[in-house]
Amino acid sequence: MTKLWIKLYRWVNERVHLEDLVEFLGKKYVPVHSHSVWYYFGGVSLFLFIIQVVTGILLLLYYKGSEQLAFESIQFIMSKVEFGWLIRSIHSWAANLFVLSAMIHMFSVYFTKAYRNPREMTWLTGMLMFFLALGFGFSGYLLPWNELAFFATKVGTDIAGVLPIIGEPIMIFLRGGEEVTGATLSRFFGFHVAVLPGIFTVLLGIHLILVQRQGMSEPIDVENSPTAERKAMPFFPNFLLRDLLFWLLVLNLLAILAVFFPWELGKKADLFAPAPAGIRPEWYFMFMFQTLKYIPAQLWIVDGEVFGIMAFGIAGLLWTLVPFWDRKSSRGEKNLLITYSGMFAVMYIIILTILGWRS
Amino acid sequence: MEIIRTIPMLLLCLLLPLMASSQSRVDQCLTCHETLGDKPSELFRRDVHFQKGVSCAGCHGGDASAEEMEQAMATEKGFIGVPKGDGISNACARCHSNATIMVKQFNSTLPRNQLEVLSASVHGKLSTTGKEHIAQCTTCHDAHGIVSTKEPGSPVFPLNVTKTCAKCHADAAFMRMYNPALPIDQLDKYRASVHGMKNAHGDVKVAACASCHGSHDIRSASDVKSRVYALNLPTTCGACHANAKYMKGYRIPTDQVKRFSSSVHGKALLEKHDLGAPACNDCHGNHGAAPPGVESISKVCGTCHALNATLFASSPHKKAFDKRRLPECETCHGYHEIVAATDDLLGVSPEATCSRCHRENQNAKGYLAAKTMRHLIDSLESSEKRADSLVADAEQKGMEVSEARFKLRDARQARLQSRTMVHAFNEEKFREVIGAGLNVSSIVAGEGQAAVDEYFFRRWGLGVATLIITIVAGSLYLTIRMIEKTQERQK
Repeated sequence: MTKLWIKLYRWVNERVHLEDLVEFLGKKYVPVHSHSVWYYFGGVSLFLFIIQVVTGILLLLYYKGSEQLAFESIQFIMSKVEFGWLIRSIHSWAANLFVLSAMIHMFSVYFTKAYRNPREMTWLTGMLMFFLALGFGFSGYLLPWNELAFFATKVGTDIAGVLPIIGEPIMIFLRGGEEVTGATLSRFFGFHVAVLPGIFTVLLGIHLILVQRQGMSEPIDVENSPTAERKAMPFFPNFLLRDLLFWLLVLNLLAILAVFFPWELGKKADLFAPAPAGIRPEWYFMFMFQTLKYIPAQLWIVDGEVFGIMAFGIAGLLWTLVPFWDRKSSRGEKNLLITYSGMFAVMYIIILTILGWRS
Repeated sequence: MEIIRTIPMLLLCLLLPLMASSQSRVDQCLTCHETLGDKPSELFRRDVHFQKGVSCAGCHGGDASAEEMEQAMATEKGFIGVPKGDGISNACARCHSNATIMVKQFNSTLPRNQLEVLSASVHGKLSTTGKEHIAQCTTCHDAHGIVSTKEPGSPVFPLNVTKTCAKCHADAAFMRMYNPALPIDQLDKYRASVHGMKNAHGDVKVAACASCHGSHDIRSASDVKSRVYALNLPTTCGACHANAKYMKGYRIPTDQVKRFSSSVHGKALLEKHDLGAPACNDCHGNHGAAPPGVESISKVCGTCHALNATLFASSPHKKAFDKRRLPECETCHGYHEIVAATDDLLGVSPEATCSRCHRENQNAKGYLAAKTMRHLIDSLESSEKRADSLVADAEQKGMEVSEARFKLRDARQARLQSRTMVHAFNEEKFREVIGAGLNVSSIVAGEGQAAVDEYFFRRWGLGVATLIITIVAGSLYLTIRMIEKTQERQK
């Protein structure tokens, strides 16, 4: 068996000079320190994205993106297609784990200030990918065309519509009209399987090239420590195999979730039915949704909802542009304001999400 | 012409004060008009208002004590002449709505909201002229010879009220102006009803128009506030028919409303407010109300239960029932207190209705048929329950079985269809319907079972996958350890 692998390697090596790549990878090192565990979440996010692409393509073989057939096609996938239930459940669970993993990756990069000079572009592409991941979630949620998804999309696009001047055009663009209809479904389907994956792949390529080019960032205190005390492990095979181990665990977790908690389909959306009780967005939008519920209808002269959306917009912009205004970290100095702001954001998201689920 | 009529009247009016100068407190209007010999003054002598001391001026205005016509009928004395349109009812309401006058002056117990109620009624709508309500007080009570409603002479006395109402309601040309769809034969139907016949014989206790429709507060039958609105009708009929004291002497039961209320029809109508459910009138008729005869019961029930009635009419039971003069539907289902038909009605058990006529040693053919049919319907029910339980089990396990759940409705439909088909009392046809239901149940049960099996297959599959992943992960971990040890040794 081993001989066969060696023969195969030689055969490929003769043609594409694999040894150059192995040598290149062998020279790459990953820092080892007390926060090294967070490095794996980038890889886990990548793995989950690959799963999404594969399961998404499989679902595409049967899914029909129309108002009349979307729900029935998912029903067909789940009940008639061999392992269709598994593919659909994994796609739904992996989507949530992907957002969670990307979120952990983003916060770990933020708290270790890995975005600092010279990795501003890596951070920016990462943030853009994170927003696209939320877009994947929002557009994908509607595709089964069930009652909950329909009303959650209605509420979600309604929120976008309250923005002054640009709100209504955005809402009409997203919905493909004044209301959430079959036109919205077709539009979201297009975004979900063509527009977003296209942009995401380009950004992912840039992101990975930058990571390979610049290597892994070290936390400021590790970077400032004497060279002798700094440890590292080869990227290949040590880090890559550990990454693989992590991926296997995630794969098993996905299988357990898909079997024990199969993703429900619910009732088909009825455009004329009243909104059912308990309409709520996906968990990663919950903190914003809950905040908007707490804000009074009118704040001074500003509409409460508009104020909330603007506040989240500004906070998101500041967060995205952090490498450009956190000059201290770039100089290798500690910046407690950044750390405390991040801690506040994490606590805020957790508390508001819990409150949202309990309400 | 008007002048010719007025001159003698004026002369009499001039003479009458001279003749009655010693009777200055006498109603001079009446004195004059009686001399003229006009009908209103003749009728007014018998009028309840005259007897209570109300003068002509009470409605027409003017000065009843003035001997001179010019003074008596002077507009400055409030003379209004003959009230017109809504002025008529308003003239009545001046006293009838006034508590001080009615209670203190006349010690009356009459309600004082008649005009208010009349205005809100169907008769309170605007007439074709658009200037007045359709009906005024005088439309029903007349103008001058008004007597108490308890007096046989009153147009609204129970024996007269039907004719009074029919003045308009039997007039096709008049009714066409307001409600062309409303029948105009109510009085004819009423005369053919039990109520109408007794009324014609002078029974004032039986229902006449006002007993069911009310008097001043009459509303359209489609108005939820109407006494004859479907939901209110049992209470309206029960006002007499559930009153044992009132009904004493008629020798009919007084528990119909109570029994109806606990029936499947009564619950649907009174508890679920299902307007499709029958009220009293749907079986007994409205104006022509009478108990349906033995031969017409299936026709009456068949107006709603059409298929059952058709199947029964072509069944072997039809002839047998006719021969024994048995009421068709009622024999098995009862009347008034008709409970929801269950499968228990069918079969040969003591509670089954079939066993009343069919026994093992008497009418044995029917006995066997009833036994078989009951067995068939029970089989379908248990088969449907099994399928339902398997589908529910699969659903509870999170399996997607909505299609099987949908198909199960066909089995339920077949069971409902078999309950209709039972009225054909034909075992072959019954077996056909049950067979279709059993077939669907069996398919659904198979799908439910397959989903449950799939559930366990998934768990086993997960176990195997987890084992493989664990082995691969363990191997990978050992490989990493081995590689790192080799690397350390090389260092």
